[in-house]
Amino acid sequence: MIAEKLREEVYNCIRCGLCMNKCPVYNQLYFEGAAPRGKVQLIKKVLEGKLEPSENFCRMLSLCLLCETCTVNCPSGVALDRLMKAMRAEVSEKFGLPWQKRAMFHLLSSDRLLPFCLFWGRTVGNPLRSLLPADGKVGTIPYHRLPLLNRRPLLNQFPEVVPALGRRVGSVLYFTGCATNYLFENVGRSVIATLTRLGVEVIIPKAQMCCGLPIALSGARKMALKNIRRNLEIFSRDDVDAVIVDCASCGSALKKEYTHILEELGENAEAARTLGKRVLDVAEYLSRFELEKFLRPLPGRVTYHDPCHLVRSQGVREEPRSLLKRIPELEFVEMEGPDVCCGGGGTFQWEHPEVAAGITRNKIKAIADTGAQFVASGCPGCRLQIYGSLDTDAIQVLHPVELVAMALERRLS
Amino acid sequence: MLRQEVLEQFISVVGPDRCKTSPEDLLTYGYDACIYEYVPDAVLFPKSTQEAADIMRIASAEHVFVTPRGAGSGLVAEALAKHGGAVVCFTMMNRILEINTANRYAVVEPGVVISELQKAVDKVGLFYPPDPGSAAVATMGGAVAMNAGGMRGVKYGVTRDYLLGLEIVLPSGEVMVTGTVTAKDVTGYDLTRLICGSEGTLALVTRINVRLLPKPKTKRTLQAVYNSIDDAGTTVSRIVEAGIIPATLELMDKTVIKAVEEFSQLGLPLDAEAILLVDVDGGPESVETEAALIADFCRTQGAREVRVSLSEKENELLWSARRSAFGAVARLRPTCMIEDATVPVSYLTSAIKKVIEICGRNRVQVGVLAHAGDGNLHPLILCDQRDKAEMERVERAMDEIVDYALSVGGTLSGEHGIGIPKSKYLPKQLSETSLSMMRAIKRAFDPSGILNPGSFLEQRGS
Ligand SMILES: Cc1cc2nc3c(=O)[nH]c(=O)nc-3n(C[C@H](O)[C@H](O)[C@H](O)COP(=O)(O)OP(=O)(O)OC[C@H]3O[C@@H](n4cnc5c(N)ncnc54)[C@H](O)[C@@H]3O)c2cc1C
Ligand code: SF4
Ligand code: SF4
Repeated sequence: MIAEKLREEVYNCIRCGLCMNKCPVYNQLYFEGAAPRGKVQLIKKVLEGKLEPSENFCRMLSLCLLCETCTVNCPSGVALDRLMKAMRAEVSEKFGLPWQKRAMFHLLSSDRLLPFCLFWGRTVGNPLRSLLPADGKVGTIPYHRLPLLNRRPLLNQFPEVVPALGRRVGSVLYFTGCATNYLFENVGRSVIATLTRLGVEVIIPKAQMCCGLPIALSGARKMALKNIRRNLEIFSRDDVDAVIVDCASCGSALKKEYTHILEELGENAEAARTLGKRVLDVAEYLSRFELEKFLRPLPGRVTYHDPCHLVRSQGVREEPRSLLKRIPELEFVEMEGPDVCCGGGGTFQWEHPEVAAGITRNKIKAIADTGAQFVASGCPGCRLQIYGSLDTDAIQVLHPVELVAMALERRLS
Repeated sequence: MLRQEVLEQFISVVGPDRCKTSPEDLLTYGYDACIYEYVPDAVLFPKSTQEAADIMRIASAEHVFVTPRGAGSGLVAEALAKHGGAVVCFTMMNRILEINTANRYAVVEPGVVISELQKAVDKVGLFYPPDPGSAAVATMGGAVAMNAGGMRGVKYGVTRDYLLGLEIVLPSGEVMVTGTVTAKDVTGYDLTRLICGSEGTLALVTRINVRLLPKPKTKRTLQAVYNSIDDAGTTVSRIVEAGIIPATLELMDKTVIKAVEEFSQLGLPLDAEAILLVDVDGGPESVETEAALIADFCRTQGAREVRVSLSEKENELLWSARRSAFGAVARLRPTCMIEDATVPVSYLTSAIKKVIEICGRNRVQVGVLAHAGDGNLHPLILCDQRDKAEMERVERAMDEIVDYALSVGGTLSGEHGIGIPKSKYLPKQLSETSLSMMRAIKRAFDPSGILNPGSFLEQRGS
């Protein structure tokens, strides 16, 4: 059941429609059911018992990137994304999840199965990929533009405690997230290299698990509980300066979703609230340092894409930009609509490939129009989606910290 | 219910994807931005004039009711299928067909969102002035059908003042063109302006030619803070009397200020009784002198603080806060109804006080917003639709507000239209002769009454 307080939210929607025209999904489809207003109104009918949740209702709920654009634009302050997440949880209990999702979430919520599969995936998968049909796709992304798996998970590449280089000025816990651990090892290496170079000790708890957000957002909240509890246990330490994340989605999970989910399931959310206050995106943490004296010129042009889970879920807009702007000789160019969702939306692009493709096309065009050779974005989901949809190798998609690390290393070499 | 064979005919025109009939889809077309709900039997999304014409031809032959709809941001339920039938929704027919800089006009399809047109013409140095609070959602078709006004009305007028010509589809399915693209045109009756404000009762609008202006060179926003709403009102009258025409002249009372501040956190003064937001635009010199003059007026009328915005960004912030006002206030209670009575501008102060007095006496919570420069009040009435007794008090208060507005030579509705909520008052303002002329016009366009049945013309009493 959806928590009482959340249920009242539907009465705050005055149906003004001001959320509609900014919704990326509505802007592809142009009918109410795809728009935030339509979804809230349907949820209201369901909550009032006037509409039986049907498959079609579920499909409409799934027509949403959970990009939170509507939430931040609603002058009535309706917590649209929370309503939609809670409703997804409710209907997934009733209808169950499609088998592909169930299998994937089972993977993500298990700490032995995931490494096991990825081991075989890596050993067999990476070479196998060259055998896949050239025109095959996962959702909107062609096989050949899927990322390769890390040779070894990042967690196995470093000791649990990586000491600071030189005088120690701080100490952080590092939540690597699945993407960095299994797919984008260079992001993790850059985070560690940058932090230790600045004098920060980096502690990487080995027993950490997937943050659980992809599981919870699709509705399988109870399945995510195990991950939530484990991570809370490991990261609730106050002998460090902060808990650092490099992934926008993990960040929003640790900062606020854990609290929401536990509260709405009627569990004690105290530990989650406390942890939430100690979590920082790596760009936020880095903004405390005087990077200038460490950075070397990195000639080129960069543009920045705001991940939904960073700019809206966490309200982090300036810090990543200012990181990039501080790199000497790296020209920063703002793209048109930098904070418009890229169209990935977790499993959205795989469930609604045509809609996603339309949204991503606009993003790619905005990127191309800047003439930049780097697109920076601190979210593996956006990275997958943007890289996967580019048809050129002239544009690199990177985490802002990777660019910082590149500029740092230049001095060292 | 629509018969299956009729539905199939519709599908043969728009295809299955653009003919929606699932219960979920229908429910989402059962509302607009006010409190009424009527669920249609089908929703059709034409993408061309031809498709719209075919739909009307079928509807006409099969006697199916059709209700046109844009974005559904209307405040009087005119986009709802009050007697069932099909809703014809124009959101998918949304291309800007031409922006002509040499002759300063644009041609658009009806589903184009007002703010999208504004943005597009801005890029080429032109300006489409009508700017309702709903510009970010409302369509051009809806704006034409409702003759939408908005914040720039005081200087630039309303939608009607920018229409050069239309292409419309009659209920019979015939396509007709009105007007031209020239600024002057006296050929025959002015049917363009008849369609404008017809609340979707005469024809489907399928193409719109609008006049554009050169973009004003500069703009300044002033914010004057008052300890008394009287003083704010008098300032407005003084500005108007002095023959200064600001681009916008908006008033917010205490309740509105508080709610807006909570939403936007701009640092608006929470202890103020009223704020006036004034825009002046034009050439740099005249803007400077007018801004100074207005600032002076505000101070001599008792404004405790006058601030002139320093940048375009600050202007934008202030106005986006103003645009959020309806929603921000609505947050305070589950239901929010916008009144729209309009008075001659010299009555503005007394009208605001009267509204507050009426609501107080009927124990109705109200926040007052006004397009002050043209006497257009927007009392935001806060209530809970689920509370019968409260809704009766609201109804009484609204009756009294209307009576007052009419008694000083004002009108029922400045811009939101009549629709369901105000139709019962129509006979108070319009004579029987005038009403029967309107009905005759309606019959000429729509002899069998299939277009937007249950509209303002047919509603009687309550
Ligand atoms: C927050 C908010 C602020 C607002 N502020 C203002 C304001 O400042 N000034 C103002 O005037 N109004 C305002 N409105 C009211 C409303 O936005 C306008 O009336 C707007 O023009 C409606 O446009 P729409 O596309 O939403 O039309 P709808 O609500 O969909 O339809 C309105 C009417 O137009 C008809 N219609 C729509 N498209 C067509 C077409 N193609 N052919 C024929 N008939 C058609 C419908 O049948 C209906 O009668 C506001 C509304 C909201 C929610
Ligand atoms: S902006 Fe908010 S109040 Fe308006 S329709 Fe959307 S959810 Fe409802
Ligand atoms: S979260 Fe994003 S995609 Fe979903 S309804 Fe809101 S704006 Fe649309």
